[in-house]
Amino acid sequence: MDALGLLLDGFATALTPVNLLYALMGVTLGTLVGVLPGIGPAMTVALLLPITFSVEPASAFIMFAGIYYGGMYGGSTTSILLNTPGESASMITALEGNKMARRGRAAQALATAAIGSFVAGTIATALLVVAAPLVVEFAISFGPEDYFALAVLAFTAVSSVLSRSVVRGLASLGLGLVIGLVGIDQQTGQARLTLGIPQLLDGIDVVLVAVGLFALGEALYVVSRLRHTPPEVLGVGRAWMGRADWSRSWAPWLRGTALGFPFGALPGGGAEIPTFLSYAAEKRLAKGPAKEEFGKGAIEGVAGPEAANNASAAGTLVPLLTLGLPTSATAAIMLAAFQQYGLQPGPQLFDHNPALVWGMVASLFIGNTMLLVLNLPLAPLWAQVLRVPRPYLYAGIVLFAALGVYALNNSWIDLILLYLLGLLGFAMRRFGLPVAPAVIGLILGPMAEIQLRRALAIGAGDVTVLVTSPVAAVLLSCSALALFIPLLRRLRSR
Amino acid sequence: MPSLSADNRDDALQNGAVPAPAPAKPRRRRPELVLALIVLGLGVFVIAGTANVTAAASTLGLGPRFFPLLVGAAMILIGICYVIDVLRGGHGDPEESEDVDAQAPADWRGVFTVSVIFLAFAALLDLLGWVIAGALLFFGLALALGATSRLRAAAVAVILSVATYLAFVKGLGVTLPAGLLSGVI
Repeated sequence: MDALGLLLDGFATALTPVNLLYALMGVTLGTLVGVLPGIGPAMTVALLLPITFSVEPASAFIMFAGIYYGGMYGGSTTSILLNTPGESASMITALEGNKMARRGRAAQALATAAIGSFVAGTIATALLVVAAPLVVEFAISFGPEDYFALAVLAFTAVSSVLSRSVVRGLASLGLGLVIGLVGIDQQTGQARLTLGIPQLLDGIDVVLVAVGLFALGEALYVVSRLRHTPPEVLGVGRAWMGRADWSRSWAPWLRGTALGFPFGALPGGGAEIPTFLSYAAEKRLAKGPAKEEFGKGAIEGVAGPEAANNASAAGTLVPLLTLGLPTSATAAIMLAAFQQYGLQPGPQLFDHNPALVWGMVASLFIGNTMLLVLNLPLAPLWAQVLRVPRPYLYAGIVLFAALGVYALNNSWIDLILLYLLGLLGFAMRRFGLPVAPAVIGLILGPMAEIQLRRALAIGAGDVTVLVTSPVAAVLLSCSALALFIPLLRRLRSR
Repeated sequence: MPSLSADNRDDALQNGAVPAPAPAKPRRRRPELVLALIVLGLGVFVIAGTANVTAAASTLGLGPRFFPLLVGAAMILIGICYVIDVLRGGHGDPEESEDVDAQAPADWRGVFTVSVIFLAFAALLDLLGWVIAGALLFFGLALALGATSRLRAAAVAVILSVATYLAFVKGLGVTLPAGLLSGVI
């Protein structure tokens, strides 16, 4: 009941006019960037990091959480109305969603996606309220070796799950770790890998790396492979659905939520796997006419995965808030935001900043409701956004990327660094290296180093302290499994 | 860059003639090798670059070099595996996105043009100021990306750069260079 009381206090924080405004801004912006190709919630939050310095932390995180949730709603619109796969979290939605739209059932597809996202988001946020205090209670006894093992698990899981090629996932992670090493060592004040450039003493800013890898990297990649025929956007009226659609949708929503939430909370789980599992489950469970419809536009194939990806977004917040452990790129950038405010997510955050944590959680309920209102009646408007001419879209993305990065230090050197990181992002996309491990390595790497050194200092140089804690031993075994299972599978298939 | 056109042809061949995901051509050039070698090289760089970093001896042997050594060693190991994988014909899946035609041959001229425009913008921003440099950046990129109407692109460019300047400088208190237009705007 304690969590309930805190949540009510959180609503008091979230329901102030200013914070309602930030929530509205967040969800609107999130839907917009979710709908727009080429830019997603991770990059948007990164670009907004410097601008929110003058804003109260609670307001900033209410906005960021709105962007994260909104991005999940917006992505489904793209998948349904555009005949190409959109961002990875809503790729599965395109399978049935686009087919439905082609058969003239775009309104129903959008409605089941939006209402399903609302149902899943609300249930999953409630699960977050229940789960977070339990995890906090468990994590309060964690020592530095346990936190180090958690970071290692996040590294290996993200690298091996997000890419079909483990070595490419690990290469991406390593690139992030190396970038994170640049600058002054936090414990001894020694400069590392700065090449004698004074601007590098403070390290390479997270904003710069994220914007370079996401925005400029994407723009360069798109230039190299631009689809010259403009994508076909299917028209749509108001999103609505009939009685039959409701009765076919509610069970997939609940099953999608049940799959999405735990996967979102797991390191390396993310949104892709639960959407895929949900699709597979719905396809198998389908009976009668629905079974025939699969592959030609079955509403179950939209309802399940859309619920799953929203539930996974809520799931992601559990390890982020309770352990400081990001499991997705957007969560990693949000962790960077906490650090910029001098806050460290974890059990202490719940003790010291209950207003911030619970205000953010409460705002998720509010944001979800706003998103339902934004997405059901306004679907035709978002469909219009998809028609933005691509030259203007990508030119605009680069312009805002340059603006955000230049505003950091007013230095053209940052713009050159931005370009170099953009080239790296381009190469990573071209050769199929996932970007998320690099971002997680960059942000979690320095924390892993601190915890490792702390653990070894407590153990007075004895390396076994890293495995004597049962929690750490289990986590490290899981990371070893995450690395070796794909290898074993590959060997066996040979 | 002389190798670009050859690469271009390579891609065209691969995507035109062999649509299968794993083209098993015996002597295909492997541009990915460069990236794999960069990963390997970065590992060496991290270890070599932190060789002379020292700290007061009180730190139980876990000075500022310890973690970089771990990361560097891991990068070398990963780099070696990556190089071997590329040499044996392994490949990842190029990222899919709404506006990307994964089958199209790489347009290196486009990438080069965009690079020149962006670097020129970086060099001239302080001199020209945000409004002019930003408008030129947008205009140049839009044309490079295939905008058909120059007039419309120019109009959008000017509106965007002026609007962002006013919104961010006057509204949010972000500092952006006024450049040539200082005093005017």
